[in-house]
Amino acid sequence: MLLQLNNIFKWVQQGGQRVFLLKDINLTVEEGEFISIMGPSGSGKSTLLNVIGMLDDFDEGQYEFLSESVHQLKEKHRANLYKQYIGFVFQAYHLIDELTVYENLEMPLLYKKHSSSERKAMVADMLDRFNIVGKKDLFPTQLSGGQQQLVGVARALIGKPKLILADEPTGNLNSAQGEEIMDLFKQLNKEGVTIVQVTHSEKNAAYGGRVINLLDGRMV
Amino acid sequence: MIKNYLKIAWRNLMKNKAYSTINIGGLALGMAVTLMIGLWVYDELSHNNYFEKKDRIAQIFQSQTFNGNIGTGPAIPRPLEMALREGYDDNFKHIVMSSWTTPLYLNYKEKSLSKDGNYMQQGAPDMLGLTILKGEKDGLRKINSIMLSKSVSEALFEDEEPIGKVVKVNSQFDAEVTAVYEDIPVNNSFNDLQFIIPWEKYLTLYEWIKNAEDQWGNNSFQLFVEIPENSSIEQVTSTIKDVKKESSGDEAEFNPQLFLLPMKDWYLRNSFQNGVQVGGRIKYVWLFGIIGTFVLLLACINFMNLSTARSEKRAKEVGIRKSIGSQRKQIINQFLSESFLVTLFAYVLAVVMVLLFLNAFNDLSRKEISFPWQNITFWLISLVFIIFTSLLAGSYPALYLSSFRPVNVLKGTFTAGKYAGLPRKILVVLQFTVSVAFIIGTVIVMQQINFAKNRPVGYDTKGLVQIPVMSRDFEGKYDLMRTEFINSGAVVEMSASSAPTTSIWSNRGGFTWDGKPDSFQEDLAWTEVTPEYAKSLNLKIIKGRDFSRELASDSNAVLINETAMKYMGLTDPVGTFIRDEDEEDPFPPKKIIGVVQDMIAQSPYEPVKQGVYGFDKYGNNSFYNLRLNPNQSASDNIAAIENVFTSHFPDIPFQYDFVDTEYGEKFAAEERIGTLSAVFTALAILISCLGLFGLTSYVAEQRKKEIGVRKVLGASVFNVWNMLSKDFLKLVVISCFIAIPIAYYVMNGWLQDYPYRVLLEWWIFLLAVIGAMAITILTVSFQAIRAANANPIKSLRTE
Repeated sequence: MLLQLNNIFKWVQQGGQRVFLLKDINLTVEEGEFISIMGPSGSGKSTLLNVIGMLDDFDEGQYEFLSESVHQLKEKHRANLYKQYIGFVFQAYHLIDELTVYENLEMPLLYKKHSSSERKAMVADMLDRFNIVGKKDLFPTQLSGGQQQLVGVARALIGKPKLILADEPTGNLNSAQGEEIMDLFKQLNKEGVTIVQVTHSEKNAAYGGRVINLLDGRMV
Repeated sequence: MIKNYLKIAWRNLMKNKAYSTINIGGLALGMAVTLMIGLWVYDELSHNNYFEKKDRIAQIFQSQTFNGNIGTGPAIPRPLEMALREGYDDNFKHIVMSSWTTPLYLNYKEKSLSKDGNYMQQGAPDMLGLTILKGEKDGLRKINSIMLSKSVSEALFEDEEPIGKVVKVNSQFDAEVTAVYEDIPVNNSFNDLQFIIPWEKYLTLYEWIKNAEDQWGNNSFQLFVEIPENSSIEQVTSTIKDVKKESSGDEAEFNPQLFLLPMKDWYLRNSFQNGVQVGGRIKYVWLFGIIGTFVLLLACINFMNLSTARSEKRAKEVGIRKSIGSQRKQIINQFLSESFLVTLFAYVLAVVMVLLFLNAFNDLSRKEISFPWQNITFWLISLVFIIFTSLLAGSYPALYLSSFRPVNVLKGTFTAGKYAGLPRKILVVLQFTVSVAFIIGTVIVMQQINFAKNRPVGYDTKGLVQIPVMSRDFEGKYDLMRTEFINSGAVVEMSASSAPTTSIWSNRGGFTWDGKPDSFQEDLAWTEVTPEYAKSLNLKIIKGRDFSRELASDSNAVLINETAMKYMGLTDPVGTFIRDEDEEDPFPPKKIIGVVQDMIAQSPYEPVKQGVYGFDKYGNNSFYNLRLNPNQSASDNIAAIENVFTSHFPDIPFQYDFVDTEYGEKFAAEERIGTLSAVFTALAILISCLGLFGLTSYVAEQRKKEIGVRKVLGASVFNVWNMLSKDFLKLVVISCFIAIPIAYYVMNGWLQDYPYRVLLEWWIFLLAVIGAMAITILTVSFQAIRAANANPIKSLRTE
């Protein structure tokens, strides 16, 4: 078991009333799974993903990640946990515009105290693996959307995470680019990486093993 | 990691060149001002550092009470020396009597120079710690010796060996050069001490000095002391404070209190009010120190404001970094290293600015400050300064930016919260408070100077020239010179006086006159003048008549000024006799024959002192006062005068001063303060405006979409301009309300130092408010109008 959510609630106060973003979510993710979260806009897909990624808090319930109780951890420990085990892929890529492809890939390693030669080797591996060696000195704005997302995935992978969380990774891409990314996820999953993705598209969801449907914050 | 931070910082700077220019330029400007002021303050504080014993060298001062007013000064009577030597010798390492610093002519072969120097007792060179370059250390041992500074020695002897050479002093006596000492650098007391002649020689020169030996009331000398290392200034002061009171008999009625003023205080803390030390120049050191700090603060505020205003652009980066695993601490470090980088650039730029403007600044402040390249302490302080500034400027943005939550910023729905702008607003208010207060302060300083300048001087300073004639050569030559000068056509009238018109050199008491109130302790300014004095100065006689050469009895006559008339309680002074209590028959009493208009001889900020102008019976000339021929150019007049002068005194260098220039010197200190504060105010405003400019452009950028929507819905350019400007204008109005009371309080305090001062009028404050608002509108409008004129279709398409 990689992670387990038990009775997770999340709400915001609006005009004296509780508006629930997540309602009684129970979810267990095993290592090696490929899960797709689906649902209409505002159903809480991204919120759930962020809770799993520990970027967002929840108000009630328990969250176990690799037998650590996340809800009892201080922010610093939580950051250490997700920095070690989780990689994020965003819809809008979220590369740092001021850094080159090479430097963007290197950045997660800087926060993990790898030596300079180690970093060099790891970045070189990634560039090689994704066939973007020739683009390593370009800035994100000089790349196409598909290429940017490729870098985004490479960045998520470089720290050798157990889990990849992807929030509509193909949302900003055309169909050919999207397919390429999804094939890549499939490949990674085969190699043992657990993947949880949020998606609107049935086609993309089909790449995964299990589909979770959300409606108004509830699993249906 | 740090490399990564700096790389990002550098690329961010390069990407937003306008922003970087404003940020670095503004900060550099602020730092340059602070550096410059720092150098100035250091220079002021290091005054007298040349003297290693500046804590132990002191001058004896005394406070005396006249009619309940305590006056304090360094002039002491001769018998004090013996009283101290005989009764209190243990308290001192050196006791050195000294004359005032006076110019004398030094002649060697055909060379003649006018140089300043003192007559001093033997211990002077050792006490002052003079560096003897040639000759003997104890150079004042023999009565006929003279010690010269290196520069004078070189000017006089050039390549010749100076020791043993004989110099003729003031055509009066010969002196043998016994030592040459290193010149005392400027920025030190005694920096004009270009020669020293033994005190014993001084005693032989004039009858009045000899007579002063036992006159406790004749305060005409200086006394310097050095105290031993195991003693303190306060201790010695308390031991000797009543020495004069106890020994001087009659003088005890003025309650003379002696004290030691240590050399370290001579320059910065030499001002006394009613017997109490009230500071002096130190207040300007504080003033400029505060200004410097504030200007730096203004520049730092710009940095903070621009960085946080840009936060939305950096928010995404913070979010990404955090989602990848960065801790808040690391983000803080990143932004602090960024601000360090910016500060470092700004510092380099500031040093360049200081180097460019140091000469101009020196001219303005009359300093000789050089850039301390080789001073390690300076660089260390600079490093601390850079770190301090980068922390001051960078800490707020760092804390603010690092607090972003990744979920919020990455969703793309990030907007700065309702209150995010509040600290920014407070900072803008702070900036404009300082600027408005500076404007008010500067206007008041300028006003005060103009006020004093426009005060009637009482005589005509224009076209009046004075020539110093304090040497024996001029004795008995007055009538001849007067005729010659007038005959040359360059001079229409001439007189002589015992003091320059711009100063009072002698104060006397001990007179009686009819109607003098009992126990009235008078203190009168005393100047001896030739009969042509009033005429040559264009000084008006308002009662009675002027001196006349035809009336022999006028040799015992005096003129008094208007203030003296009131001071002495005389309604109809003409014909009143005043008698010197010490002068018995056959000296006849002096008759007041007229009253002249008050003329400002001392500070133009103080009331004119009660003064008496006595007929100069004995030729006590110190200055010739020449009224130039108004129909000729000044240079022609001076050339003609010099011609006459050198034909009569070929050995004496021709020296002269224009009285209006001399009089103008009285404003020099305040004018310097005024100019400097005007410059600093202008820079402070410039820095604030730079910040405002940057801030407006970001607000305009931020609200681009809103502006687009409004325009599509029919808003005019004026509407948009109004919307953008209003917010800032509100802040400036708040600043004015804070700044006005502060400025009023501070400037009112400053004006209290001047008995003759300008009133604080409401329009000054109104002017400052209008000025600040005008500047704000101008600054803001540039961006506001640009934003208002932008094509709405374009700005709406950016999404």
